[in-house]
Amino acid sequence: MVANTDNGASPDIQCRSLTKAFPGNVEVLRPLDLEIAGGETTALVGPSGCGKSTLLRLIAGLETPSAGEVLIGGVSPAEMLRDAGLAVAFQDPSLLPWRSVRGNIELALKLARRPADPRAVEDLIRLVGLEGFADTRPGALSGGMRQRAAIARSMVTRPRLLLLDEPFGAVDELTRRQLADDLPPLWEKRQTTTLLVTHSIGEAVLLSDRVLVLTPRPAEIIADIRIELERPRAPAVTGSTEFRRLVEAVSEALAEGVRATKPPLAAQ
Amino acid sequence: MIALADPLPERVRRGASGIVGTIVILLAWELAARALAGAYILAAPSDVVVHILQNSDLIWRALRETLGNATLGYVLGNLAAIGLAGAALAWPRAEPVVAGLALLVFCLPLVATGPILRVLYGPGPGPQITLAALAVYYTTFVPLLVGLRAAPASWFELLRSYGRGRLAELVHIRARASLPYLFAGLQIAAPAAFLGAMVGEFTGAERGLGLLAIRAIRALDIAGIWALASISAAVSILIYTAVGWLSRAVLRDPPPMILAPPALPRTGHAQGLAATVMRTAFVLAMALLLWWGAMTTFDLNPFFAKRPDDVWVALFTATDARETRETLAGALGETVVFLLPGFAGGLALGAGLAILLTLAPALTPSATLIAVALRSVPILTTAPLIVLLLGRGAAGTITLVAVMVFFPTFVACLHGLRQAPGQILDVFSTYAAGPFARLWHVQVPVMLPAFFAAARMSVPASVLAVTVVEWLATGRGIGSLMALSASLSDYDMLWSSVVIVSVLSALGYAGIGWVERRVLTVFASEQVAR
Ligand SMILES: Nc1ncnc2c1ncn2[C@@H]1O[C@H](COP(=O)(O)OP(=O)(O)O)[C@@H](O)[C@H]1O
Ligand SMILES: [Mg+2]
Repeated sequence: MVANTDNGASPDIQCRSLTKAFPGNVEVLRPLDLEIAGGETTALVGPSGCGKSTLLRLIAGLETPSAGEVLIGGVSPAEMLRDAGLAVAFQDPSLLPWRSVRGNIELALKLARRPADPRAVEDLIRLVGLEGFADTRPGALSGGMRQRAAIARSMVTRPRLLLLDEPFGAVDELTRRQLADDLPPLWEKRQTTTLLVTHSIGEAVLLSDRVLVLTPRPAEIIADIRIELERPRAPAVTGSTEFRRLVEAVSEALAEGVRATKPPLAAQ
Repeated sequence: MIALADPLPERVRRGASGIVGTIVILLAWELAARALAGAYILAAPSDVVVHILQNSDLIWRALRETLGNATLGYVLGNLAAIGLAGAALAWPRAEPVVAGLALLVFCLPLVATGPILRVLYGPGPGPQITLAALAVYYTTFVPLLVGLRAAPASWFELLRSYGRGRLAELVHIRARASLPYLFAGLQIAAPAAFLGAMVGEFTGAERGLGLLAIRAIRALDIAGIWALASISAAVSILIYTAVGWLSRAVLRDPPPMILAPPALPRTGHAQGLAATVMRTAFVLAMALLLWWGAMTTFDLNPFFAKRPDDVWVALFTATDARETRETLAGALGETVVFLLPGFAGGLALGAGLAILLTLAPALTPSATLIAVALRSVPILTTAPLIVLLLGRGAAGTITLVAVMVFFPTFVACLHGLRQAPGQILDVFSTYAAGPFARLWHVQVPVMLPAFFAAARMSVPASVLAVTVVEWLATGRGIGSLMALSASLSDYDMLWSSVVIVSVLSALGYAGIGWVERRVLTVFASEQVAR
């Protein structure tokens, strides 16, 4: 079920000649063209420092491109921000330390000018496995628990575009598997366009419909791999040959990207 | 859930050690007084109590008067600080000017501002209240401005990702994130307001503790001097503790370190010497304009309400301009000879003792307790005592300046040393690094911002200390010149000395800021990059 449908329920993303350089000639994105279909879950995989977060932040409208443009459902990120149509789970969970887990999640609703929704808040707290910690402040949570609170916060406003920046980096393996089971069906049900940055290849393949592999900085897309695994994906899928083939393909592309940019040892 | 450790035993232990300590000090004091009886230096606690009981009506009325003025000044000064910080936040481009003007006003020598305010206001509590406000607003303004920005960029991005702007930032992040900083400022401000009101009373009030203190000094009423100093100290410790208690009740989590706020912010504006000179010139021009504007708007009598051009004439074009300059320079010279050693000594002792205590951690809790208590005493209210004990010469003055600088520096450095991240210290432990390695590589760099912040704030404080002693006791230097000019109604000289002392103090403050940035760039670059 989708809360509001005015700009289209699941917006597509278009990046046209998107370029980003930071002061001091740090070139992060070469002109990048990218189309992401609405309602899909796309994973961005690449070596750390290649520009994944920067790309995500450009799409979120938190960073202005040096050249080129981003369109989300045909409108600019700024416009998307204006009616709180997207949500970001940042790499650093960014919870306000003086608010409890529940308070932080509720804050998102307030910021997005949505009515309070205690049911939705409690449901999400349970979904990310933080029941019993709703009234705890972030200072007393582990890194993984904080990240889960941030995931819950990013979903409470039912964003049409969900941007997740390494959301499971500090989450323990068991909980991570649980989340990998629980989150995608919800995204599918809400027809959320989801962009997931991760450096875990397995996670990328397991969660997404499409994996984009980036080269080291400046980031270029070196591989665009469709994941045709059936949904819902049972945990057992990770044992299938198809899954292993896809993981192999992604890691091959990753290694290829690194090889292409890194001078061979002998030349150093 | 956090398992909250039961705080009671710790509190009880500290309370008990406090009581025991107080009793020991009182006993030693009594014995020393008995031993020195007849020397006209030390009044025994028993004499002090007797004096207070005998004069309880008088003292009580004076205390109420002083507290009333201090409270009003405290409220006004802090409101001004909040307003200034809000303005600097709302118009970041105006911040250098706001901060510069605020610093310049903070550097006004209260000893000379007092008499000027006295003639401007006429009789009544106006000057005391104004001086109390002047004594507090800057120490609230600076940490508050830091606090309003003390949030990671990602929190602000979170708000932006929901399409919200600066108002939401203020409501959801800045207001709350700055609270600990605001309270830290409010706590320091509480005894400072009391001190400001007393200095106001030194300069010709009809009522109040300051007036009683002046009378006791004139009459060499040893029991009276000690009684008034004890009462001021006790009241200051009480209000300091009360505000601290209030802040803990409101905040629940302990207040953070006040990190070094840059003397002038480097928020993406043009850097470099030229820009600094331009900014300084602009601030000075604004100051002159405001000064002239205020005098003209209120249509104040130019006999005592001097304008900028009057001071210019007095210093440069009048027939006696040369004499005026020489008198000022001579007095300044006398002052600097006492001020600089006291200032440097206070800084060195404060930082040194803090570092020593870190090497001997067992002593730290009790030392901190004592220092925090004494930190809250406006040392100046005890100036008469120090003069009594050490005489009217160099020793007394230098000691007083050093003491004035020592306590804030010591407390800030101890606090700074404790900010060393536990994880990094753990890393050092895994390499079996000794205490000196930890000190040099971790703790001292972490301490530096706090040290410099204390050093900067100590500039006006030490000027206040030296001028008060000169004025109350030694009869030399710029403080004495100010007092003399005030009593002779030589307003040209009085205003000139105000201008010179404020500008020199502000320059000293900015100079320490300059050194600070250079040192921090080397030792603690992450503190500068903010
Ligand atoms: N604000 C910035 N200023 C300068 N360089 C930046 C900034 N943000 C990121 N970078 C640089 O851009 C590159 C990509 O960063 P990022 O997008 O965070 O990488 P990652 O793929 O690990 O998320 C890095 O080399 C980083 O140093
Ligand atoms: Mg990243």
